[in-house]
Amino acid sequence: MLLVKNVSKVYDNKKKAVDNLSLEIKKGEIIGFIGPNGAGKTTTIRMITGIIAPTQGTIEINGIDISKEPVGAKKNFTFVPDHPTIFDAVKGIDYLNFIADIHEVPIQQRKERIERFTKAFQIYDALTQTINSYSHGMKQKLLVSGALLPNPNLFILDEPMVGLDPHSAKILKDIMRDHCQKGGTVFFSSHVLEVVENLCHRVAIIHRGKLIACDTLENIKKNSTATLEEIFLEMTKDE
Amino acid sequence: MNKFIALTKIQIKDFFSKYTQHLNVKNKFLGILTMLLPALLILPAIQLALTLYDSFSMIGYPELTITYIYIANVMLMLFAGIPFIISIFFYSKDLRLIATLPVKEDTIVFSKLASVYIYLLAIGCFFLGTSVVIYGTIDGVKVLSLILGIMALLISPLLPMIISTLIVLPFMSLIGRGRKRNMLVIVGNLVLIAIVIGVQLLMTRIQMQPDAINNLLSQEDGLLRLIGHKFPPSIWLTKMIQGSLLDGGLFILLNLAFIVVLKLFAKKLYSAALLKFNQEGSALIEKGKIYYKSRSIGIQIIKRHIAIITSNPTFLLNTVLTMFIPILMFVLTSLTGELSGDLFNSEALEPYIIYIYTIVVSTPAIMGSLSATAITREGKAFWETKVLPISARDNIKYRIYTTLIINFTGSIILGVAAAYYLPVNFTMILLAAAFCIATTLFFSTIDIAINIQRPLLNWSSPTAAVKNNLNIMLSLLLRVITGGIGFLLYKMMSSLGANTIIGVLSAFFIILYIVAIYIVYGIYERKFVDIAP
Repeated sequence: MLLVKNVSKVYDNKKKAVDNLSLEIKKGEIIGFIGPNGAGKTTTIRMITGIIAPTQGTIEINGIDISKEPVGAKKNFTFVPDHPTIFDAVKGIDYLNFIADIHEVPIQQRKERIERFTKAFQIYDALTQTINSYSHGMKQKLLVSGALLPNPNLFILDEPMVGLDPHSAKILKDIMRDHCQKGGTVFFSSHVLEVVENLCHRVAIIHRGKLIACDTLENIKKNSTATLEEIFLEMTKDE
Repeated sequence: MNKFIALTKIQIKDFFSKYTQHLNVKNKFLGILTMLLPALLILPAIQLALTLYDSFSMIGYPELTITYIYIANVMLMLFAGIPFIISIFFYSKDLRLIATLPVKEDTIVFSKLASVYIYLLAIGCFFLGTSVVIYGTIDGVKVLSLILGIMALLISPLLPMIISTLIVLPFMSLIGRGRKRNMLVIVGNLVLIAIVIGVQLLMTRIQMQPDAINNLLSQEDGLLRLIGHKFPPSIWLTKMIQGSLLDGGLFILLNLAFIVVLKLFAKKLYSAALLKFNQEGSALIEKGKIYYKSRSIGIQIIKRHIAIITSNPTFLLNTVLTMFIPILMFVLTSLTGELSGDLFNSEALEPYIIYIYTIVVSTPAIMGSLSATAITREGKAFWETKVLPISARDNIKYRIYTTLIINFTGSIILGVAAAYYLPVNFTMILLAAAFCIATTLFFSTIDIAINIQRPLLNWSSPTAAVKNNLNIMLSLLLRVITGGIGFLLYKMMSSLGANTIIGVLSAFFIILYIVAIYIVYGIYERKFVDIAP
């Protein structure tokens, strides 16, 4: 579903934010993407989603190169960023209809999905209010609802749990599991290692722009009894 | 005092660092050159000051150059200051942090005004500064006049800045309540600006009773008093530059008095206006019903871009003001009696009616550089359309369409209004429409190349996005250059009829539009993809 091949990102010909990163995610997987602050997680996700272009390497989504066929590739995924900064002078329902129109979601399906997700996240009653009146968590829930609306093949989230209350975090985790069981794929970054440990089929660890591990939790632990947190701290500690 | 200095320093640093960041030029030499680009505006300012100086020297009162330019300068500062003050006080993102700091309310108000002062001082340097230098050097260097002139220049932004603040803050607290506050802010500020211009026109009109004129002219400095009688600080400033300590003292005292007044009211203004306005902004406003309606991708994107302008009072005010300046000026000059309908029906003006009409109709294209900030206006929300399944070409195209829709709407309104007052016929309307379409298409398309080249997405106040943005200067420079070429063409064709000339100029802009399409979609599409929010 997602193939990242030898991707690097260099800023101002100096700072290498991502260094020759390769990653493959198969259909139906949930992959957790972890790393210390400034390791290159967000840069990698921004390249995968087409927000920025890689300096070198290729990214394919469902077999489509995002550099060559951006529209085709973008039809296969939706994205929730780490900050809910959106154009917020419109009402919540305007935003959801906007996303549904761009992804060409038929009226009946959009109605059913909007009701399902926004009621689950308890923002349905706020949909007629302008987004700038929402709290951080409500905006985050609206973005997640919008991203789920087109029922994407690949669901990409950058730090999705930030700002969510425990109830909503639980719902989001259930939605992610459910999405994978129905054949969808989820790729998300997080600092909450317990979530990654409990939810993901595989874990990708990035440190200083390089992918230092990408495997199942069992293989990463290598039969040790250490927790993911202990392994993560060990792998990413500075020499 | 230390807190005030610290807060002011950070505000000024932020102002300058935003400005240099907005330049977005990597090459150091080119960066300095680009920074100096707005300085080109000094050329028309010099020309204006020289013309005034020559005229007043001929009647023996060269110092009236300073009086005249100071009065105009104060009005310009009031005009420019009002939207800026609204932007930094009411729509700036840093107030939430500043409000939590352990500093007094007046410290916050004055530190916020520091960047307004710099902005207005820059305006003052162009006009008042130029006239002071011309007055102090042209007929031999007058050192004292120059020193006092520089002092006066440094003080000059205070009066209009404090007056604007004292008007705007309570005014905004009054109109900034309730559900339709953005609309009220727009309408209210348009009225406010109209009043400011109206007062200016009334003040500068030298239409007094003949007895009063004779009385004033019979006195020493009679002409100076005649021009400055409605605004005495202009007399004090002029005489200060001429070396009068008494007038200098009066001018400085007046400014100090206004600072004291603002200090006295700062606490009240802060709590009654700023906090209230921001508090109101977080209220939940419910309107309409949940709906499920399908629209085309193009309509959705264009709707979004139009909403970005209409939902932000600074953006909307800026758009409306730049487009409807002719109407505003016309209405005010008509109301104050400066302009009468008979003038347009005079024989002397008849050959120029088609040119006047064409320019009025094309004002939105010529004055409104909407495309030059089409990407910038989105700010940090720019990522949204980048991850959506729409091509970069369409993404650019819909932004241009948005500008076209807004500009053509403005042109139609202006066209209908102007046709009511000007004696135009069907051919004139057709030709003006052709010219308007050609210029709108060209400028709306080419301007977006400027924004793609220099996308400013991290702005802290909307003014930084749409006014204090070098993109606008570059866009205006482009208009000056194309206007210059157009003027040369006009001169070359002066033996031809007006209809032919406008036809040729329209064709000229259509050719430029074709070139602009190639530049934007051929060269800048790739650059658009590379814009990193």
